[in-house]
Amino acid sequence: MRKSEKISIVKEFPYPHVIVKDFLDASTLDIVIDALAGLEYDFKESDLFSYWASVELTNIDHPAINILRDDLGDELWRKKVAEAFSSKPLSSIDMAAYVYGLGDFLLPHDDQVEERIIAYSLHLTPEISEEMGGSLQMFDIDDNNNSKLVDSVIPEYNSLIMFEVSKHSWHQVGEILQDIQRLTVTGWYHG
Amino acid sequence: MVDINFYYLEDATLSNLNRIFNSADIPFIRLSKFLNEAPDKIEPKLSSEEKIGYYNRKIGNALLDDFWKSSDFNDFLCKATGLKPKFRKSNHFSYYPGDYSLLHMDASETSRLLVVYDLTKEWRQEWGGYDLYTSPDKDPLVCNRDFGSLMIVKLDSGDLSCTRYVSLKSQFSTYMDCITYDLE
Repeated sequence: MRKSEKISIVKEFPYPHVIVKDFLDASTLDIVIDALAGLEYDFKESDLFSYWASVELTNIDHPAINILRDDLGDELWRKKVAEAFSSKPLSSIDMAAYVYGLGDFLLPHDDQVEERIIAYSLHLTPEISEEMGGSLQMFDIDDNNNSKLVDSVIPEYNSLIMFEVSKHSWHQVGEILQDIQRLTVTGWYHG
Repeated sequence: MVDINFYYLEDATLSNLNRIFNSADIPFIRLSKFLNEAPDKIEPKLSSEEKIGYYNRKIGNALLDDFWKSSDFNDFLCKATGLKPKFRKSNHFSYYPGDYSLLHMDASETSRLLVVYDLTKEWRQEWGGYDLYTSPDKDPLVCNRDFGSLMIVKLDSGDLSCTRYVSLKSQFSTYMDCITYDLE
């Protein structure tokens, strides 16, 4: 179950985004993390990224994953997310789990794919700190495509970050610098 | 004065290079100790070059700009590859920790010959920074850093190249002259 039902005011700079802290209650967190630990992850690597990804979790039938999918994507929550971002109604979500280990990274990209309205990432690594790497880093882009890193979000345990997908939503995941496993459930709300 | 290692100018060697180059999946040869004396003190004047989603690196004039344009080197390229390359541009690139380029940066390119002369003195594979070449339906080609090596790659329209992200843990940076030749 969700512990937090409230979405605070969306920050507009460098593009609309918001962080919901303490998103899940403790018992849900336990069973979700247990379930995610039991999944198989494949190593994915390209010029743009290096990480471990689970199978697509959108349609998997698993008691704990079903609860998580409801918490992130039930009608009530989708309505709150749409209201917070003043977006069009959100019809569905997709989701997968990702693990970043030592040396893994995700370089700048904007997430733009048709029908993606809001991106989200639920952070599930206890006691992560800035020097460990893995921050979600946000860029400001001007009209000439000049970019500047302007915000770095430490992926605090049980925090949910959401941002509006647009041509401005450039972001990256900083390289993991210590021997940790940065676990997230990540996906998009679709229109 | 820059001289090609005499071994690479012998007829038998050139014949072999031509055969190896043209039999590779992605036409490619790598020639270690290519010059008799590799430039020792590397102090290129560099400036930052960033296009988000494409590259973030340092760029300057090629250290051996005159040599890459010379008839001596062009003759060598013709014999080693069997092609008729025409000089287009040369640059010196350096990738510091955190720098990268991505494959789609040359998505609009046509057929070309890429030459990379590696001036990276100290390197570990785990720091990344290697060159990556891709071609549809072919295995990607990975070229690790190796001081003094010359790499020659023929890429066609639709083929892509990049230099892989350099780890923030890297204690050094990569240095290379990169030259592009047009192909008829």
